[in-house]
Amino acid sequence: MNVHEFMTTRLEFVDGGASVYEAVEKMVDKRIRSLVVRFSGKDDGYGVITARDVVFRVLAKGINPQKMKVAEIASKPLIIINQDADLNEASGLMEKSNVARLFVSDGQRLVGLVSLMDVMRAMLIIRARGKYVL
Amino acid sequence: MWKILGGVFLGWSLGANDSANIFGTGVATGLVKYRTAVLLTAAFVLLGAVLEGSKCMGTLGELSRLGALEAFHCTVAAAVTMTALTALAIPASASQAIVGAVIGIGLFYGSADFSKLYKIISCWVFTPVCGIIAAYLFHRVLGYILEKTVVSLTNRNLLYYLGIMVSGCYGAYSLGSNNVANVTGVYVGAGQLSAETAALIGGISIALGVLTYSRKVMMTVGKGIAPLDPFSALVVVLATAFTLHVFTQIGVPVSSSQAIVGAVVGVGLVGDLRTVSSKMLAKIAVSWVLTPLSAGSLTYLIITLIK
Amino acid sequence: MFFEKAFPHGKKERKVIENIRSHLSLLCTACHTLEAALEKRDRNLMGEVINLENEADIKRREILSNIYDGAFLPYLRPDLCKFVEIVDSIFDFLEETAYCYLEAEIPPEMAGECLRVAFFNRQMSEMLLITFQALVDGEDLREKTLAIRIYEKKIDDIKNYLTKDLRAVPVENFWNGLYLSNFLSSLTGISDVIEDASDHLQIISVSIR
Repeated sequence: MNVHEFMTTRLEFVDGGASVYEAVEKMVDKRIRSLVVRFSGKDDGYGVITARDVVFRVLAKGINPQKMKVAEIASKPLIIINQDADLNEASGLMEKSNVARLFVSDGQRLVGLVSLMDVMRAMLIIRARGKYVL
Repeated sequence: MWKILGGVFLGWSLGANDSANIFGTGVATGLVKYRTAVLLTAAFVLLGAVLEGSKCMGTLGELSRLGALEAFHCTVAAAVTMTALTALAIPASASQAIVGAVIGIGLFYGSADFSKLYKIISCWVFTPVCGIIAAYLFHRVLGYILEKTVVSLTNRNLLYYLGIMVSGCYGAYSLGSNNVANVTGVYVGAGQLSAETAALIGGISIALGVLTYSRKVMMTVGKGIAPLDPFSALVVVLATAFTLHVFTQIGVPVSSSQAIVGAVVGVGLVGDLRTVSSKMLAKIAVSWVLTPLSAGSLTYLIITLIK
Repeated sequence: MFFEKAFPHGKKERKVIENIRSHLSLLCTACHTLEAALEKRDRNLMGEVINLENEADIKRREILSNIYDGAFLPYLRPDLCKFVEIVDSIFDFLEETAYCYLEAEIPPEMAGECLRVAFFNRQMSEMLLITFQALVDGEDLREKTLAIRIYEKKIDDIKNYLTKDLRAVPVENFWNGLYLSNFLSSLTGISDVIEDASDHLQIISVSIR
């Protein structure tokens, strides 16, 4: 089973110039834990802002999220995995990089996101399949 | 010789009533055809009566000295008590009825031997207890073994089917071997019949009752126990059969209805104590006292009327 | 005759199990065909799905009559029949999906997600067959039913997105809109019924212990 079978294809973006508060609003409304950050200007890579970043680096420190820009706490570069990779590679990469999600690329562009939960679910399905050959 | 007919009547009503305890669940849930059930029951009851029925014959005769006429009165009184209680929908035990009748006669003639009564009564008390213990152990042990060995759907299915058949036959055999003494034992005590002949005649009368009149009771009793899953139903019949067989070896005829109630309680205990209803326990206790008392008093009445 | 009835050797039961297995295989084939038809945009292949529903109906009747011919203990029979009926209604959903596809026009922006749903449906149907086999072998069904629930939730998520996206689709023709909506609801409904079927297998598994 490879990554592209289990990833989410819906990616949500936020501009690097937007406030952390706007990012938070988006996360709450869409019930997701991370957003891909689009950097404006010449730096045209992507980054990611997660709920962890928001909590540990802004809210818990008492900083006002409206006064902080996303680009200031986003992590980059994105940790990427190819869509044809298998689950073991994905889980290994997550463990090594100490992240809970990986971004999936088809070689050229971002096509999705695979989270720890996705990997867990996929592994449970493989267990259930067991010895059965289909 | 016509006095034997009392026993035949008693045997017939016993067969009609108690055979439901054996194949009742099987027939009511559609597992076993009624025809198959009664044929098997009748055959194995007769077999049980002939092979081991004589073991219990002596006990009744020990209670009081009986002549042939008294034996006749006993069996008739017991049969009438049975029929009356059945009509009132009170569980009726042939063993307790006949013992009550014999004691009644004994009291009238002053020839009752109460020392033997203690042995009999303690066996009555232990019947449901034995049923509870046997059912609990069988359920636990057999359940464990089955869990490890027979797992596939087809095999489990086959096993339950064969199990109900085999335990039913064993149950009928035990019923015959244990209860035939209730039916014709008094005539042995009175010296009218030898133990073997009494067993044969008694066995046949029970078998006749099974073949001719057991349908209605089988359906009612069967439906009452039907909510049990097939494995538990199997264990209940097996435990009842085992209990009866044990008491046959001890030599005392006991009640199959009490044995089966105990077995159902025993199976319930495996799951949850809450499934055991105190109402059911109370019912057992009441019938322990009620049946022999009413049989005894009835016999006493009949004798006084006749004399 | 009497002996056959008195000492069953499981022949009738094995036949029923074989038939249910092929019924479920037919389901996998139908789901696979739907997926392929969506991927290739092949209307003929979509029509095949409808044919398969007919074949499944015939199979269902055969299984039911086998069961009531005397296979399995009477207390098991209603549950087995119920399972077969549930599987049959999965075929009905597949047929409905195929019909609606042939009548409606699927907007290209939704095609990708619809294909994903069909893909997961196929995987679910295969898992259902595996679960049934596990039941027959007397195994614990927990992991298999969990797997099916995982798939169902995944499809539920996609369904949410699709429903939102649908509102943005311009509808000039009411009937096209209706068929499109029906297509989506039956396509995403397949997984709910497969989940029902697997829950029912769990019930059967518990009742025979």
